[in-house]
Amino acid sequence: MRFRPLRALSERPLRLPRLRPYVPQPSDPPIFWFDSERKDIVREVVQRVTQRHTADRRRMELVLNETALAEIRRLESQRDAESRERLPQWRGLARRIARLSDVEKRDAVRDIVTRYAEDVAGNFDPRVYGFSKQAVPKLLAGVMAPSRLPEELIGETLIGELLRVEGDIEHLRRLQDRGTLVYVPTHSSNLDSVVIGRAFEQVGLSPVVYGAGKNLFTNPFLSFFMHNLGAYRVDRRVTASVYKEVLKTFSQVMIERGYHSLFFPGGTRSRSNLIESHLKLGLAGSAVSAFANNRVHGVDRNVYFVPATINYELVLEGETLVEDWLKEEGKARYIIEDDEFSKLDRWIAFFRKIVGLQAACIIRFGRPIDCFGNEVDDEGHSTTPSGRSIDPGTYVERRGKPVNDFARDAAYTRELSDVIVDRYREETVLMATSLVAHVLFRRLVRETPGLDLFARLRVRGEIAMPREELIAEVGALRDRLVHLQTQRVVRVNDAIATLDPRVIVERALAVWNGYHTRVAAKELEATVTAEDPTLLLYYQNRLVPFATRVVTNAADEAAAAEIARIGGRR
Amino acid sequence: MSDARQDALPIGVVGGGAFGRGIAKAAARTGHDVYLWSRGARELGDPRIRVTSRFADVGEAELIFLAVPSNAIATIGRELGGHLDGSHLLVHVSRGLVGPELTPISRLLRDSTPSRRVGALAGPLVAEALIEGTPSGVIVGTNFPEVGEAVREAIAGPQLRLYVTPDIVGVEVASAMVGLLALAAGHAQASGVGPAALATFLTRGIAEATRVAASLGAEPDTFVGLAGVGDLLAVMAGDERPEERLGRALAEGATLERAVEIVGANIEGVSLARRVADFGARERIAVPICNAIADVIDGMPAQEALRALMTRGST
Repeated sequence: MRFRPLRALSERPLRLPRLRPYVPQPSDPPIFWFDSERKDIVREVVQRVTQRHTADRRRMELVLNETALAEIRRLESQRDAESRERLPQWRGLARRIARLSDVEKRDAVRDIVTRYAEDVAGNFDPRVYGFSKQAVPKLLAGVMAPSRLPEELIGETLIGELLRVEGDIEHLRRLQDRGTLVYVPTHSSNLDSVVIGRAFEQVGLSPVVYGAGKNLFTNPFLSFFMHNLGAYRVDRRVTASVYKEVLKTFSQVMIERGYHSLFFPGGTRSRSNLIESHLKLGLAGSAVSAFANNRVHGVDRNVYFVPATINYELVLEGETLVEDWLKEEGKARYIIEDDEFSKLDRWIAFFRKIVGLQAACIIRFGRPIDCFGNEVDDEGHSTTPSGRSIDPGTYVERRGKPVNDFARDAAYTRELSDVIVDRYREETVLMATSLVAHVLFRRLVRETPGLDLFARLRVRGEIAMPREELIAEVGALRDRLVHLQTQRVVRVNDAIATLDPRVIVERALAVWNGYHTRVAAKELEATVTAEDPTLLLYYQNRLVPFATRVVTNAADEAAAAEIARIGGRR
Repeated sequence: MSDARQDALPIGVVGGGAFGRGIAKAAARTGHDVYLWSRGARELGDPRIRVTSRFADVGEAELIFLAVPSNAIATIGRELGGHLDGSHLLVHVSRGLVGPELTPISRLLRDSTPSRRVGALAGPLVAEALIEGTPSGVIVGTNFPEVGEAVREAIAGPQLRLYVTPDIVGVEVASAMVGLLALAAGHAQASGVGPAALATFLTRGIAEATRVAASLGAEPDTFVGLAGVGDLLAVMAGDERPEERLGRALAEGATLERAVEIVGANIEGVSLARRVADFGARERIAVPICNAIADVIDGMPAQEALRALMTRGST
């Protein structure tokens, strides 16, 4: 079952009619002002980007030629309604560029930038926001457990049980009134933007602005909400550099104006389920530049980055994602349009599988940091390693004055990336499926010395562990992880921290089996067999950075060392 | 003093050893006032150089050079860091890598101070050349172009050519590994190792250093620049650097303690060799030359170490 017939409809913004514009109240979150500022924001983005590209004729010709070429290539391969409409226009422009006067070139650049900016800029409708707050949990509950719908209509017990939000929320609530929050979570699933939006609501944090891939808008249900909840559209098929500049500038202007924002710095869902270690920080860089530009203009508004991890017991699209990671050609297949996310029956199967689990999804907010990786205290002040408060504005000063410097901001962003990656590891919450998968996969590696990863993935159903041994090893692993949690190395789902390891194993096997089309591990006559090493690899990958630190048995040391090398050294 | 430097900010230098004094002299020569921090404060007789034992004075400068041993960086960083904020630019000249993970000094500086705009100065530069102002070249590794510009403005001139690369880790690892190879070269020459064997040893040493650096995130190309091959060529051209002298003293039969005493300087390579060897074993990086150097420092006769290198399995 697919949503495809509705795709054309869903790609166009559906908006509710309005007779009178909404007048934001002082207590409303910043995003409630978006509709009244939208025109201004788009104008400012267009003006900044156009100015950068129209300084001289050579620059104008370069951007026009480059953009036309990139768009013609994209549309020729797309072969859809958009290409029928736009391709002749781009081809016409490409032919005319050399003959255009300077004024016409400037106008052409401005037209392109305006079209991109309008396409990117989202919308925020407080009515949709209000409705989604009430309705989304109930709709999800209805899908997950129809029998519990009546009680859900009264309360929100089911979603509350499934989704746990952790971290120093009170600190974030204080900071959101003192500066602009930029959330930078890990990215495993297209469900992420839905669950994190729900998490904000659940703990009373302001809604945020975030960029969502245009492919997400192919799901009409999500599309309607995204179009009206402050999501801006990111079309990954558009490769023209001026388009990327529009995106970054849009984000920068929003942050300068105090809109709390969210980026997924991994760029795309983690195909391997490894904790992200190589971040794409173009949009995060826009936050650093926003802070600097505000300081240059005398605006003292701090920007706080909030690393966060989104941890699932079961990943909706896990099976497709890991296949994509393993396929060589998968590297080029950036946008997957036919994964589980686009299939309604998979959604229903997924939710029915996780219903009844305590904390099947945990969103954990890490300690906030400023744009330069410094800790931030309760009052929002940046602090040095020794705990002294310092002015973050000094980081953008030269000779005592704040200045804009793109190269400097890019360097700060790279350094910030290292801090965020460290935080991802510390704040990752390991679930039962990761623990059980790790023990089984480690045994597979131990029993297949000399094989490479791909050869091991073909060893299906051959490696088994006595159930009692698996339970004992899972228990030892859990205890070791709980110990590491006290050292702030990584975290374990509270729901399994003191649970009988026997129940942890049962929980993992029950979650996997019946949802994924393949069986990850099968229990038969007191033994558990590693049926599908690929799925086990996927779920255990979350543990890779800690593999050598959780070994409690000398016989597993070599296997753990091999597992630690998956994904390369950071 | 050029017009551009009329409003030059003061320069800070931490470390009163030969290198620290050399940088202070070079900066004073280009028209800057200098705060030179030294534990044993002793005036240098240059009116532009003010020797101080207070980190607060050094904090007056925007650009601060650190010329202290790597094992002192964390402590000094914490003390100095109390007087710094985000506006300071820090540049170190250490040839060390810290701890079993071979942590670059720039990382320690970022962890122990509020400064983020950090750089590493390296290349075929010895303290005497800085003090006397004889022609030389250096390279600054930094992610921040403005750090390179500030160093250029502070010490570069007709006698000192300066290059900048964004590969700060590459510069730091190359500088440290050349220090190690310089020690080995001094030892080998004093032990009578011939030119061909020495050339083979050093060339393979550079290849080994490149592998180690790549595993730490550095660019291999950095090793064919001033921080790597350029620096090593200066050693072989006889710049009489302390590492090479220490290697010679060891080859001539001095104990390690006595050799360090003869040289009168902290030699990072002494403790680095074994750590690189262990790191290689842990990360599965072939580092036979570092192993040999570590064995020799631990007392193995050079000829025996060389024989072990020459007869090991082919690669």
